[in-house]
Amino acid sequence: MSYTHALLPPSYVEIEMADESLFDFLHMEIVSHIYKEQQSSKGEMDNKDRAVCVSVLESMGFRVGQGLIERLTRDSPSFKDELDVMKFVCKDFWTKVFRRQVDNLRTNHQGTYVLQDNKFSLLTQLSSGKQYLDQAPKYLAFSCGVVRGALSNLGMDSVVTAEVSVMPSCKFQVVVQKL
Amino acid sequence: MTVHNLYIFDRNGSCLYYNEWNRKKQAGISKDEEFKLMYGMLFSIRSFVSKMSPLDMKEGFLTFQTSKYRLHYYETPSGLRFVMNTDLSVPNARETLQHIYSNLYVEYIVKNPVCVLGQSLDSELFSSRLDAFIRALPYYSPRAA
Repeated sequence: MSYTHALLPPSYVEIEMADESLFDFLHMEIVSHIYKEQQSSKGEMDNKDRAVCVSVLESMGFRVGQGLIERLTRDSPSFKDELDVMKFVCKDFWTKVFRRQVDNLRTNHQGTYVLQDNKFSLLTQLSSGKQYLDQAPKYLAFSCGVVRGALSNLGMDSVVTAEVSVMPSCKFQVVVQKL
Repeated sequence: MTVHNLYIFDRNGSCLYYNEWNRKKQAGISKDEEFKLMYGMLFSIRSFVSKMSPLDMKEGFLTFQTSKYRLHYYETPSGLRFVMNTDLSVPNARETLQHIYSNLYVEYIVKNPVCVLGQSLDSELFSSRLDAFIRALPYYSPRAA
């Protein structure tokens, strides 16, 4: 846990999740709550219900991502180009939010980027293989929103999706929308 | 030197997890009955031990031993009960059981959003890590002493 001394100048403030478990547990409960809410009004969940849940989670993440990026880039210089922004997301942003760096960034240089994280922090406790694979998307929706929100406040409108084939490795696809 | 088997019970008496590594003799009753018997016996022993204690008690019941094996018991503040049978060469498995609780149960079950607390532990990640941990114990060997 990190804290700041009242007499230190603001530049010494470090952003650290006070205890990672706090967010992990809260996130688990948020996902569970949203799915329960959607289910109680219908009884059975169909694909449309699932899509609603995913989109609610994603929009929550969006707002969080927007706020986080303001906080994290407070003292950084402005970015040269899109690729620079993505590199920042893969390194500094990912480290602060997901506790490690993205392992692999690929792009087609035409606005599509694939970020691969081989030990995505929200999946590591789920399984290390195929078990619970069908449940993984529920726990990725919020994070997709966080990435989209962060990019949005850096001036990049995008669509962010995630796919998992073997846990805890996960690929986020960012497609930047050109106006 | 070896670990024979491990049971994990919740506070209501349901057996959440059971695995064996080196068990030569079965109890002769169904697994459900065995779990009920184990939990019931432990419940009685704990209450007996605390009632009959000539001094104020801190931890309560810890282990019992026979000529062939020793049973180790660890109960967490949250009511989870870990029971491990080892051979006689292991004097104290309390730390091992504490490690299983904090580094395996808490990490892979409590922090797993899919695992519902109170239901049996299905996570393969938990099973495989637990298995690897048991096999890596200094007092574990595939053959009983």
